[in-house]
Amino acid sequence: MERHDAIVIGGGLNGLTAAAYLARAGAKVLLLERNAVLGGADAAYDIAPGFQLARYNLGVSTLPSRIISDLELGRHGLRFLRVDGGISLFEGGYIASYRDGVVHRRELARFSLKDADAWTRFRRDLLRGAQQLRPLLARPLADPSRFSLGTVRRLLNTVSRWGAAEADALHDLTRLWTLSCADFLDDYFESDAVKARLASDALIGTALGPRAPTSARYLLGAFIEETVGASAGAPARNLAVGGPTAIVHALVSAIEAHGGTIRTEAEVTDVLMRERAARGVVLANGEEIHGQTILSDLDLKRTFLALFRWKELPEGFVEKVGRFRMRGVSAKINVALDGAPEFPSVPAGCPAVLGGIRIANSLDDMECAADDWRDRIPPRVPLIDALIPSLADRSLAPPGKHVMSIAVHYVPEALHDGPWTTERKDELADLVVARLAEQSPGIRERIVALETLVPPDIENEVGLTAGDLAQGETTLDQMFFNRPMAALAGNRTPIRDLYLCSASAHPGPLGVGYAGANAAALAAASLGKRG
Amino acid sequence: MSDEIDMPETEEFPAEVEIEAAPMMSSDEGADEIMAEEMPPADAPLTEDAPDMAAPDTETPNTEALDLDALEDAVQVDPSLFERKPEAPPFSRYVLTTPLHLSVAAESRTNLWTQWNGFTTPDILTSVDDEYRALRHAAALSDISPVVKYRISGRDAAVYLDRLVADNVLALSIDEAMPVVFCEDQGYVVGDGHLFRLGESEYRLVTEETHLAWLLDSALGFQVRVEDVSATLAAMSLQGPLSASVLAAAGFREIETLRPFAARWFDVGGMPAYASRTGDTGGLGYELWIDPEDAPMFWVRLLDRGAPFGLAATGFKLRELARVEAGIPRAGRDYLGAFAAVDPADASTPFELGLAALVDLDAAHFTGRDALRRAKGRPPRHLVVSLALGFPEAIEFGAVHCNGRIAGIATSTAFSRSLGINLAVARLEPVSVAAGAVLNVEAELRDGFSIRRVSVPARVLTEPALVLASRHAVPAPLISNY
Repeated sequence: MERHDAIVIGGGLNGLTAAAYLARAGAKVLLLERNAVLGGADAAYDIAPGFQLARYNLGVSTLPSRIISDLELGRHGLRFLRVDGGISLFEGGYIASYRDGVVHRRELARFSLKDADAWTRFRRDLLRGAQQLRPLLARPLADPSRFSLGTVRRLLNTVSRWGAAEADALHDLTRLWTLSCADFLDDYFESDAVKARLASDALIGTALGPRAPTSARYLLGAFIEETVGASAGAPARNLAVGGPTAIVHALVSAIEAHGGTIRTEAEVTDVLMRERAARGVVLANGEEIHGQTILSDLDLKRTFLALFRWKELPEGFVEKVGRFRMRGVSAKINVALDGAPEFPSVPAGCPAVLGGIRIANSLDDMECAADDWRDRIPPRVPLIDALIPSLADRSLAPPGKHVMSIAVHYVPEALHDGPWTTERKDELADLVVARLAEQSPGIRERIVALETLVPPDIENEVGLTAGDLAQGETTLDQMFFNRPMAALAGNRTPIRDLYLCSASAHPGPLGVGYAGANAAALAAASLGKRG
Repeated sequence: MSDEIDMPETEEFPAEVEIEAAPMMSSDEGADEIMAEEMPPADAPLTEDAPDMAAPDTETPNTEALDLDALEDAVQVDPSLFERKPEAPPFSRYVLTTPLHLSVAAESRTNLWTQWNGFTTPDILTSVDDEYRALRHAAALSDISPVVKYRISGRDAAVYLDRLVADNVLALSIDEAMPVVFCEDQGYVVGDGHLFRLGESEYRLVTEETHLAWLLDSALGFQVRVEDVSATLAAMSLQGPLSASVLAAAGFREIETLRPFAARWFDVGGMPAYASRTGDTGGLGYELWIDPEDAPMFWVRLLDRGAPFGLAATGFKLRELARVEAGIPRAGRDYLGAFAAVDPADASTPFELGLAALVDLDAAHFTGRDALRRAKGRPPRHLVVSLALGFPEAIEFGAVHCNGRIAGIATSTAFSRSLGINLAVARLEPVSVAAGAVLNVEAELRDGFSIRRVSVPARVLTEPALVLASRHAVPAPLISNY
C-alpha cells in the first residue's frame, strides 16, 4: 500500500501552496485532484482555440509576496506585471485608480479637490488597518477560548499591539471594522463617483451591499499587500504573466522540484480513520492511500459532510458544519474578442484600463444589486468587473485579439422561482453585455465566444458548496478566530492529523495561499519537519 | 512702513486666468472654489461664469431690429471657438510644469530635474557651488510656483484662521506675513507654512503640502471661503544679500523699506506684483507672487536687471541646502503631517518639531490647544533638530547613533559650502539630544573602488548653523549705483 507523510486533498491554490511548503520541509507529499486540470477555480481552459482564461477566477491573480519568496516561485517561472488599479465607467464619464500618488490625486481632483486631498487621510487609515491585520494573516490563529500557553501569549501580543495604539487610533480601527462602507467613505469623500469607485473595489465577491454594517472592512483588502513606502497612489493590481494559471504551474513545479507527487483525476471519497485520527484516504476507484497527516483543500462543508461518516464526527459537529454559511455571490462570464474593445468615454492611452473595467454607477446601484441577491432574483444592476488580461499579457490570446474575464457580482446561487436555466443564464449574459455595450459600442460584434457560469456551475465543476468562491461568507462571525467556526480555529479540526488548508480556514479570501501555508506549518510541525 | 498702496488690494486675478491656467493644475472650472459656507458674493469676483456667459452674447448680438434667424444664417461662426477644450487627462503627464517652466529650462545648463509637489523643478541649473555663491554673496532667483497657495476670505476669515492655527492670528496686520503651524485635535501637526494677510478679510496660506480637506472641514460654521489658488498664482523667490538691490533695479520702488515678513503690492512696468520679505534661507530675501501670465516677463526682467549684481537662477537642491543651513524642517520630508503618518508615532507635536515659538497656548481657543497644553507637560517622544557633523567633505548617512545604538534618522542632509561641514535635519530620541549624549553617524567613503566606513561625530545645534544679520536689517542693504 502507498504511504505518504502528507496527503493534500484538492489542488486549488491553497492546496498547492500547502503541498509545496510541506515538500520543501522534506515531507513526502501526495496531492490528489479530482479534476483533470489543477487549480480549482483558477484552472485554465481555452474558451476558443488560442484564447486562454482562468475558468472561475474573479480577477485576482497573485499570491502573498511572502509565499512567492518562501517558495522561490520566481525560479519556477512565475512572473508578475504590476498595473494600475483599473477604471470605473459610469454615465458620461470614468474614474481611474492610478498607482502614482500625484496622478491619482489629480484624478480625484477631477471630481473634487477636497477628495483629492482627503485621499492622504483615507490611505493612512487603511494602511494602519492593514498593518494591524497583516500579522494576523500570516500565521495560524488560535481559538482564544482554548487556553494553552501559546495561545495566551499570542493573544496578549495581539492585544498589546493594538492597545499600544492611542485611543484615537483604536477609535479609527473600530470604525473600520464596524461601519458600513458608505458611512466610512462619507467620512472622507464627497464625490459619489469617488465613493462608488472605492466601494466597488472593496465589495467584489461579497454579499454585502455598501450600506450593510461592517462592509467598510472590505476596503482593507486592496491595502493588505500595500507598503507605506509605495508611491501614495491607489493600490496596484498584480497580474501573473500567463494568468492565474501561471501561479498554478509555478506551484506544481515547486512541488515536483522538492519531490512531491501530484495525481489528477483522483477523487477522494472517504477519509480513513483509526482511533479518531485520520490515517489515509480512499479514492473513487477504491484505492486506499495511507498518510500520516491529511490536509483538505476542500471547503469546510465538503470536507466533513462528504468525506466522513457523520457518526464518526464529534457530537453536534455535523450540525455546526451544516450551519456554516456558504453562499454563491458571483457569476463568471468568459469572453473571447476579435479585437480590443473601445471605451469612448476614456481618453486614449489611459494606462489604468489594464487594471480592469468596472461598471458600478453608484452606491445605490450596488445596494440595489445586493437587495436583489437577498431576494434571490438575478441582479438588475449587477456589479460588473471585467478584466482584459490580454491587454497587458499578449500571450493569452492570438495577436490582436483579446480575452475578457467578467466577474458579475450579487448573483444568487439559486433563484426564488427555480433553478438557473440556460435561458436565464443567457438573460444574465445579455444584461451584462448590454451594460458593457453602453460604454463600449461595438463590443457585441467583437464577441467570438462567450460562456456564462453561475454559482451552480461552480459547485458542480470545482466542488465549492453553493458555488461560494470565498469558501464561506466573510462576515465577521466567520472570520479570524471564528473561521470557519469558534471551536475550529487555526486549521486544526476535531479529527487528529486532519488539517483544513482551504479558504474556509483563516484568513480565507483575505490572502489566498496563507491558509495553505499556515496548515502546512502545523502539519510539518506534527511530522517533525522544519517548517 | 505704511507705504502707499499703488496696486489693487486683492491678489485675485481675472477669472479667465484661473481657467487658462488649468494645465498647471487640472481642475474643473469652479471646482477650485469650494464654498464652506454661503457668504455674500460682494467680496470677490466669482470665476465660474466667464466663458459660458460670454458665449451667448457673442452669438446673438442684442439688436432689436435685426432678423436674428437671417443673421445667424449669414454669419458663419465656428462653433469650435466656443467649445471648452477637453482637459488633458491626469495620466497624460505624470509631472506638470509651472508657468515659468520654459523660462527656467532656458537657464538649465545641466538638464538635471527633480519633482516637487507634482511639478517638474530644476534640481541644479548650473552647479551647486555657483548657485550657492549667488545665494550667499549676491542674489539667487528660483521658481517656487509648486508651493501650495490657499486664498481664505470672507467675514469670518480672521476668526477662522485664529481657530485653525496655533498662534494668535488676529494681531496680523494687513500686508504682513507670519509663519504658522496648524494641528489636529490631538495636537499633532497637520502642516506648517506662511500666512499672509492681503486685506481686511482676505488671507493667503502658503504651505508645502495640500491641506484643502482639513481647511474645509475646519471651516464648518464659519462664514469663510477657502480656495486653492495654486494654479492662478505664480511665485518666485529672490534670496541673497543683494536681492533688495536687484529688485530695486528691476523697478520695485522702495523695496528696501520692507521689513521682514512685510509685504506690499508693486507696479513693475505695468505688471502687478505682490512682494513679501520672506523665504526659508536664513538671510535677506523676497518672494514674489505674480500673475502666471506675467511670470515669464518678470523672470527675464529680474535676470536682466540682476545680472550686474551677480544674480543667478537656482534650483531645488540649493533651496534644500539653504533650508538645512537655516535649520528649517520641511513637511513630508523631515516630518509627516498627522494625516500622512501611518504609524501614529510618526506624527509630531509642534514642540517636537522645534516650532514651539509658533504656538501660543494662552491664545484664544484653537484646534489642538488642549491637547498641546497636556503635551507641553509631557516629555517629547522625539525631537527634530539640526545636526552638525565635522567632516570636511560631503558624506551620505541615514542612521544617527547614540552610545552605540540607533537613536534616530537624518531626514535631510547637506554639505554646507561656506561652513565646510555636513549638516542634517534629524529626528532623534529625546535622550540623545540631552547634553552629554555622544552622537555619531556611520558614513561610507568611496575612493575609486575602495570603500571604507567612517564614524563621524555629530553635534546637536541649538541655533541655526547660519545666522545672517541681513535677515533683520531695515532698511535692507541696497547698492543702488552698481
